[in-house]
Amino acid sequence: MEIAGSLSVIGYGLSVIGAGVGVGLSALGATQAQARQPEMQSKIFTTFIMGCAFSEALALIGFVLALIK
Amino acid sequence: MGPLDELGHHIEELLKDLGGMDMFNFGWGSITTYSVWIIIALVVCLVVFLVVKSRMRLVPKMGPVAAIEATVDYIRKDIGHGVLGSKEAVDRHMPFIFTVFFFILGANLIGLIPGAKAASGTFSATLVLALISFIYFNYYGIKHSGVLHYVKNIAPAGIMPGLNIAVWLIELMSLCLRLVTLSVRLFANMYAGHIVLGAFSILTTLFVFPVINEFTLANLAQGSVSIAWMVLLIAMYAMELLVAFIQAYVFSLLSAVYVMLATSEH
Repeated sequence: MEIAGSLSVIGYGLSVIGAGVGVGLSALGATQAQARQPEMQSKIFTTFIMGCAFSEALALIGFVLALIK
Repeated sequence: MGPLDELGHHIEELLKDLGGMDMFNFGWGSITTYSVWIIIALVVCLVVFLVVKSRMRLVPKMGPVAAIEATVDYIRKDIGHGVLGSKEAVDRHMPFIFTVFFFILGANLIGLIPGAKAASGTFSATLVLALISFIYFNYYGIKHSGVLHYVKNIAPAGIMPGLNIAVWLIELMSLCLRLVTLSVRLFANMYAGHIVLGAFSILTTLFVFPVINEFTLANLAQGSVSIAWMVLLIAMYAMELLVAFIQAYVFSLLSAVYVMLATSEH
């Protein structure tokens, strides 16, 4: 089997690792906070989306760099 | 052998199509397919809101008007009162936030119609959106505390002298990076989503073609795989519907957060 392609795809995979951990951690924090204080749900959700957006940005920059040839 | 051989060729065509092309070229610039989709998104937003405005009642009936009212209410409560805080700030900045939110939402949702393109799926459009947001929050930050004070306050107060210059430089860099992250986040989400949707629909058709060309038992067994691709396509479509809302929400939320950071006292 022949493997072809560029190194940028591997770079994208590496950048996803960190973002995946980041989104997972923020989801963990959000679920725990919601279990402790269900009445704060909407505020926690906003913070959770924001945390996801910040960590996701790194993976998306990796995605864009993988597209640049 | 097999339908997968043609996949690369079709994906290349898909990427070329998503790249957009010139419709009219003036020399100094051109109207691309994406410009047309931006105008369509704007017109759709305008028409929807003019219709909604004429149908507004004290007690809304169920339907599109109630849905839009509920969305506006949610955004006002979550972003307005949750992030911006005070009533004056909500009254001053919410029109901008709503405009950004509904334009991006409209563009994203129009892009999900098969055959249509998302206006937010091209980097130039999202860069301009981010630039508008960037200028907006810097303008209100400078208006709030004056140029010198605003520039000085990029770094938080209370850091020992010497170190605060380094912190100021880092904070200035992160301020300018907001422009990049805002635009790249929206663009890459929409672009990647459309590539995935396109790839799954290409796979569905590639696997079903042999069955149409020659109806044999072997071809039928291979063609039945396309049902799985179809299911995946529908699942991803639902996912993209969610992403369309979340990305519009994230963009307006972050714009509000930046406005709040720029106009708050340090």
